[in-house]
Amino acid sequence: MRHIIDVFKRSENVGLVVVLIVVIVVFSVLQSSFFTVPNFINILFAASVVGMVMLGEAMLIIGGQIDLSPGSVAAFSGVLAAILFERYDLSVLPVVAIVIAAAVLIGLINSQLVNFLKIQPFIATLATMSIFRGLAHIICGGSSVHIRDRLFIYFGAGRIFGIPISIIFLIVVSVIFFIILNRTRFGRHVYMIGGNETAARLAGLNPERIKVALYIITSVLASIGGMLLAGRMNSGQPVAHNGLEFDAITVVILGGVSFSGGSGTLTGCFIALLILESFKNGLLVLNVPVFWQQVARGLLLVIALSIDYFRSIRRKKASKDQ
Amino acid sequence: MVQNIEFKNISKTFVTVRALRDVSFVANAGEVCAVVGENGAGKSTLLKILSGDLQPDKGSLFIDGEEKQFRSPQEAIASGISVIYQERQVMPYLTVAENIFMEDLPVKKNRLIDFKKLYTNTQKILDEFNLPIKPTDRVRDLSVAYQQMVEIMKAYRRNSEIIAFDEPTSSLSEAEIDMLFKVIERLKEERKVILYVSHRLKEIFHISETVVVLKDGRFVTKLRTAETDEQQLVKHMIGRDLGDVFNTLNREKSIGKVILDVKGLTTDRISDVSFKLHRGEILGFAGLVGAGRTETMKAIFGADAVHSGEIWVEGKRVNIKSPADAIAEGIGFCSEDRIAEGIFRVRPVKENMSVVILEQLVRNGFIDFKREARIAKDQVTALQIKTPSVMTKIIELSGGNQQKVLLARWLTSNPKILILDEPTRGIDVGAKAEIYRLIVDLANSGLGIIFISSELPEIIGLSDNIVVMREGRISGFLTREEATEEDILTLAMKSKE
Repeated sequence: MRHIIDVFKRSENVGLVVVLIVVIVVFSVLQSSFFTVPNFINILFAASVVGMVMLGEAMLIIGGQIDLSPGSVAAFSGVLAAILFERYDLSVLPVVAIVIAAAVLIGLINSQLVNFLKIQPFIATLATMSIFRGLAHIICGGSSVHIRDRLFIYFGAGRIFGIPISIIFLIVVSVIFFIILNRTRFGRHVYMIGGNETAARLAGLNPERIKVALYIITSVLASIGGMLLAGRMNSGQPVAHNGLEFDAITVVILGGVSFSGGSGTLTGCFIALLILESFKNGLLVLNVPVFWQQVARGLLLVIALSIDYFRSIRRKKASKDQ
Repeated sequence: MVQNIEFKNISKTFVTVRALRDVSFVANAGEVCAVVGENGAGKSTLLKILSGDLQPDKGSLFIDGEEKQFRSPQEAIASGISVIYQERQVMPYLTVAENIFMEDLPVKKNRLIDFKKLYTNTQKILDEFNLPIKPTDRVRDLSVAYQQMVEIMKAYRRNSEIIAFDEPTSSLSEAEIDMLFKVIERLKEERKVILYVSHRLKEIFHISETVVVLKDGRFVTKLRTAETDEQQLVKHMIGRDLGDVFNTLNREKSIGKVILDVKGLTTDRISDVSFKLHRGEILGFAGLVGAGRTETMKAIFGADAVHSGEIWVEGKRVNIKSPADAIAEGIGFCSEDRIAEGIFRVRPVKENMSVVILEQLVRNGFIDFKREARIAKDQVTALQIKTPSVMTKIIELSGGNQQKVLLARWLTSNPKILILDEPTRGIDVGAKAEIYRLIVDLANSGLGIIFISSELPEIIGLSDNIVVMREGRISGFLTREEATEEDILTLAMKSKE
């Protein structure tokens, strides 16, 4: 028992867990339909696309990078998949393979803008965000493309034992990346290049190669998210996923990942994802107007970061007093 | 008109380093008071206290007898103090005039900037000092020397009565130094109080009336420049009580075969650098800051691009294109800039140690955490690193202990050649002694060690042979027996004949 308390005390995620519990309790009290299994599944279902991108974005930010293009990549991927189904009459496997190949290419472009042209990640991906949002509109002529492929729709909207496949996807992918980030050399290298790229290079690491992998991972996750949502909506929509990357970045920062890189955990991000989605869902259940929901989300981020700030000041004081 | 500024009992301690202890002296108007001392003597800290950047733990400044406590640079500026730093503080994209009148741009009645007045006022100042630059020049298009002039003009425009210079000539040519000295002479005539921090002794005799010597954070003496000479000053600066430390080191003379042979190495910053390092040898690299020692090592280590030259390791020519290649050849490199190029601040001690050998710790694709922790704990014990645990963030350790963690990082990789660039910079005397002992142990065990230091007693006390560099070239080789601090300083400072 003491051991458990100890782990709990040391964990940086205590605050997040407390916030999550508070959010759940408050909404459950305000609206009894909040605290039900179907609603929790709803929350996770809604979280699945943001969750995918969050995983990539978390690793990028830990590695001292950032990607603003996932929303565009997700929309582009959904539209591209729809077009491949409807105009070229391909089946699921080739469609998914082509879309993911396109995502790999996009990730490669992002990473080369950063590595070779030395463009700041924020600016490089601001450019590709615009480019692929535009291309998403161009390839479908600006209007959404209907999807009829039953298997593809099943992936996006279907359930196994009552659990949406999207959620299963998110959980499986999360576990994989949790292991990669925490247990493998690649994962450790991500923390190192984010912590101090120069020192990492002098320690024999190859930061450029790690960045290539990170941007590709993020693009591919965004494209999987885009395809899942396209399946769920029976269509590829060029306007979909607007601001997806900002939702993901919000979650990552809320989850305790340092914006300057080098520290943070996927566990924290995952809890933050649940907080944000519960919060969104709760406001929805309470019929709060959508614009107030946006205000509330912004406030949530400000509050979370203020708590973090004051905690870090207290920590600094404590270490000075020693 | 300010008559004098007095430093009284100034003390300042950083986490573990006592940078200044009870320093007191007076600098008078109308003369240049030089402040000299070796690296780490406390000169920079003193200036930062003067400029309000740091607050002393004890002691005060007195301007004409009136006590001053600056809590911020603004307060220091308001009291008429300007410090011209080594790193120039100019705004590169603004004009000369905008920089000089930075916080006091003249405005017209309608609150818009009065550019006409700005430029005429600036031109007036530039004319006073005979500077051939225009008020409308962009500062980033100026040479380093003129950028510094802009800084000085800003101080002058503020009517600063006390102007301090921090190593102002470190990146100036001879002609530019002359120009600077003319400006300083002019400020002297205006009866300003001038503090001049430099380690270039020749200049001090050229420009200053009095010299204050600092050593290990303490005030040693204040002399009239005319009544002393270089030799005497050097004696005051050196002669620190490190002799015992070096004599107790258990050094076995067991220098073996050539392990590293560098031939004609040339990069953007160094030219034609050649030297040999043997097994079990400690090869000291001396020279002034900017002499090209770090650049040489970075070229060898694959961090800087090499234009020409060869590197041979154990009789084989190697092609090193990146630090990873160098590490594969058995070379380790501990950077001089511990914070910027060494540590991963927010990562735990154990990760900071294992980064180079991570590959060896991977089993079935996963890092073996237990082995990683065990290796880290072994190093903590072996090097007597003071840390609560191997999971502690490295930034929470003292500078000396951080340095030991970085040494441990390279030791675990079992290098044949270890390059240590200023390994004792910014750490306290006790930790220094431990690092010396460690270096000697490593050399005894057969490693070839390159030891860069700007502290002469260290170089002489520790090295078997000494390479002196100046302006990107090797200016001399000395053996430990024949080397004196004077010899090294001469080789390091002698200007082009």
